[in-house]
Amino acid sequence: MKPAGLQISTPTDTTIVLTRAFNAPRKLVWEAFTTPDKMRRWMLPPPDWTMTACECDARVAGALRLVWKTTDADPFISLHGVFTEAIQHERMTHTETMLMGSGQLVGSQIETHEFAESRGVTTMRITQVYVSKEARDNAIASGADQGMEAGFQQLDALLTTIA
Amino acid sequence: MVLDKSPRLDSVFHALAHPARRAIIRQLTRGERNLTDLAAPLKMTFPAASKHVRVLESANLVRRRVHGRQHLCRLHAAPLKDAVQWTEQFRKHWEARFEALDSLLEEMKSDEHAKPRPR
Repeated sequence: MKPAGLQISTPTDTTIVLTRAFNAPRKLVWEAFTTPDKMRRWMLPPPDWTMTACECDARVAGALRLVWKTTDADPFISLHGVFTEAIQHERMTHTETMLMGSGQLVGSQIETHEFAESRGVTTMRITQVYVSKEARDNAIASGADQGMEAGFQQLDALLTTIA
Repeated sequence: MVLDKSPRLDSVFHALAHPARRAIIRQLTRGERNLTDLAAPLKMTFPAASKHVRVLESANLVRRRVHGRQHLCRLHAAPLKDAVQWTEQFRKHWEARFEALDSLLEEMKSDEHAKPRPR
């Protein structure tokens, strides 16, 4: 049985909430979210981005650091953060700042992940809090860019089935 | 990476950000409604409901016509469709990652089962 699919909502002007269910125990989902070699496997970046660093210490005061390069820029963009809350397998909160390779600030947010398990299905809830409505809307807009390539790939796949 | 943001989309997002206004939109998807009928399930006074409808009107999501003492409201879906399409790209980005995570979790579960049992 397919678990509940991705739900996205914007309950306030400065937040984005994502919920999704996974057919796996909470312990494994937590591991996939916090272990660098697992994170690299599913945190697919946009096309042409390559992850060059992935560090995650999911404990209070632990650091989060993700860096990407592109063919034109190395580093292209980086994400830095600190965990302010970490209850293993259950809940974690970290700050997050994104910087261009030049050092220019792209944006920052506070992100909370919550995991609840019932009968082998884990429900994840991510809450992203931005500094302003504009920052929140920009985050959705940048997802639009990145999502477009995935959209084209889906279109290609569909076209091959009807050809 | 930064897209031109239409001020129109801004007002649509603002309109959708309130649960009462989302409830009003849901009711209006079933057809034209009297403002009094929209207010009732929300346990809201007429002026409070009217204020929410004004926000929806300025986002061009709802059109109101006054017929005697009745304020009849109708959904104008086009701006909603624009906003939904915009957030759809964001959704696809996240869905792709979570689908990759589904595959990884299946692999991790197999690895767990393959581990020798403690004696």
